[in-house]
Amino acid sequence: MSDFLQYLITGIGGGCAFALVGSGLVVVHRVTRVVNFAQGSFAVIAAMTASTLLASGFPHGLAEASAVAVGAGAGLLVGLVAIGRPGTPPGASLIITLGMAVFAYAVEVLIWGDQPRSFAGVPGAVEFGGARFQAHYLLIIGATAVVFAGTGLLFARTDVGRALSACASNPYAAKVVGIDVVRMGLLAFGIGGALGGLAGVLVTPIQLVTFDYDVTLIVGGFAAAVFGGLTRPMHTLVGGLLLGVAQSLVAGYGNAAYQMEVALMLLLVVMMRQAARTPAAQQEPV
Amino acid sequence: MLRRVPAVAVAVTTLALPPLLSGSHLTVYILLGLAVLVTVGLSLLMGYAGQISLGQASFYAIGGYTAGLLCVHGLPTVLGLLAAPLVSAVFAVVVGVPLLRLRGHHLAFATLAMQLILLSLVARADWAGGAIGLQGIPRLSVGGYEFADDLSYAYLVWAAVAVTLVVARNIVGSRPGRGLRALAGSETAAAASGVPVGRYRLTVFALSAAFAGLAGGIYAFYLGYLAPGSFPVLLSIEYVVMAVVGGLGTLWGALVGATAIILLVQVLNTLGTQPGMPDYAPSVLSYAVYAVLLVLVVIFLPHGIVPAVRDRLIRRTSVAPEGAVVGRPVP
Repeated sequence: MSDFLQYLITGIGGGCAFALVGSGLVVVHRVTRVVNFAQGSFAVIAAMTASTLLASGFPHGLAEASAVAVGAGAGLLVGLVAIGRPGTPPGASLIITLGMAVFAYAVEVLIWGDQPRSFAGVPGAVEFGGARFQAHYLLIIGATAVVFAGTGLLFARTDVGRALSACASNPYAAKVVGIDVVRMGLLAFGIGGALGGLAGVLVTPIQLVTFDYDVTLIVGGFAAAVFGGLTRPMHTLVGGLLLGVAQSLVAGYGNAAYQMEVALMLLLVVMMRQAARTPAAQQEPV
Repeated sequence: MLRRVPAVAVAVTTLALPPLLSGSHLTVYILLGLAVLVTVGLSLLMGYAGQISLGQASFYAIGGYTAGLLCVHGLPTVLGLLAAPLVSAVFAVVVGVPLLRLRGHHLAFATLAMQLILLSLVARADWAGGAIGLQGIPRLSVGGYEFADDLSYAYLVWAAVAVTLVVARNIVGSRPGRGLRALAGSETAAAASGVPVGRYRLTVFALSAAFAGLAGGIYAFYLGYLAPGSFPVLLSIEYVVMAVVGGLGTLWGALVGATAIILLVQVLNTLGTQPGMPDYAPSVLSYAVYAVLLVLVVIFLPHGIVPAVRDRLIRRTSVAPEGAVVGRPVP
């Protein structure tokens, strides 16, 4: 039982990273219809930035916050390239973000090399119901809860959030009432970058991060986002947590080497189910 | 007759080049031919059938491992070479039946997932050499003639390229080819006009896998060694870059795209390994080239290099009557 509790908590911690990356995908996709393939790179960039800042003497908190800001900046940059030129179709934007993800490799290897990086998180361990785990997991879970509540409020209660939602549901009508759709799209990319950056900063203390860790994150994040049809943040949270827990249970009771396959098979199954329910005519780009 | 001139020129050049190239250049030439083989298939899939695949390197790997495993266990190498495209195509049909229900970015991620699963399974399969790799693959020999030196492999690869291009050209020009083009435009409209959408999508997927499998088979015999690390996700992305840069849906585009990328990467590689350059320079430069080329082409030449150049040539050479629309109609 205490084993199970431990797997559950570490799984939720890992799942939070997928949920954060996935919610970044959702924010960008809702507003711009672009699936941002570079979403995982923001996490890696932020993680590497934080490790460098911490190593050069920045205090905890400030270093992480600056790293998240760098992630947001990277998101904005990718957004500028992907949707900055008017009339770029979402399909082409997917290819552009793919290119930006590869470009991020060049930047990351150039600045930080190709060795894995990590830094210390919240020190100490916590005992709870017979399960023992790093205290850092509590920070991950708490921060994710706050961020999801915050984005929920942002979309539901603020003018900017309403403008973002307006672009999501009908870009043309949003333009008619005076909302700058491109600027909102860029804002969405910035938020996506910050969410990805947060995921990277939170996950690095429990997981070594290399420059190509973004593939793991983007696949897991996409699986979580697909769970919510790429539009619903709360479903994405649930999807991410389910994925994380499933992975950690497989690693705990079965074979740790099969973690990746679990995520991938889950992704495929969820997508097939959704495709089976949606007629082909509705899936075509308009 | 004039239309044939470029094709003949390319054929003559490819035939004349190999004896003139030195050792390392010949290797690049062979690898270029292999890349063209894969890219032709991907260009068909993306340009004509409108499906994106981020897992094309998995078919390349399957072809390679098929040929390698069969011949390591003593089967005739010709059989291995023939089996490589066949097994890849069968695999594509098996995974394609469920996967091809997906569209657009869903399909992109599904093919990516397929490759990741395949790589990690191969890395743990001891019977396929595991993560260390499959060693001791014999050289290809056909009816007593052994393909021993690089020169023979250069001709083998480019013969395969020629066959693939002819097959692809005939498919594109046929009635099913027109059906494919229709379904890339709008699946619903194509289905309504009687195009068997599902079957065509699956066929092109299998065909592109067969091309990649053939390339993988030749690669296995040429190198004599295979490892899961030879087929990373980045390789699949490279093929997408080559297909997009050259021009989707044009067969010449695959040739031009692959050539442009491989040559550019080669030049930068030479530059990056100069004394005084840091040891990470080659990888940084090649990542940057893929990324910058891909992004620039998608933004500024959305149809790719070959269609852009062709339209310009047509506009310049033909004396268009007043008001006639020449070249690609503006959407």
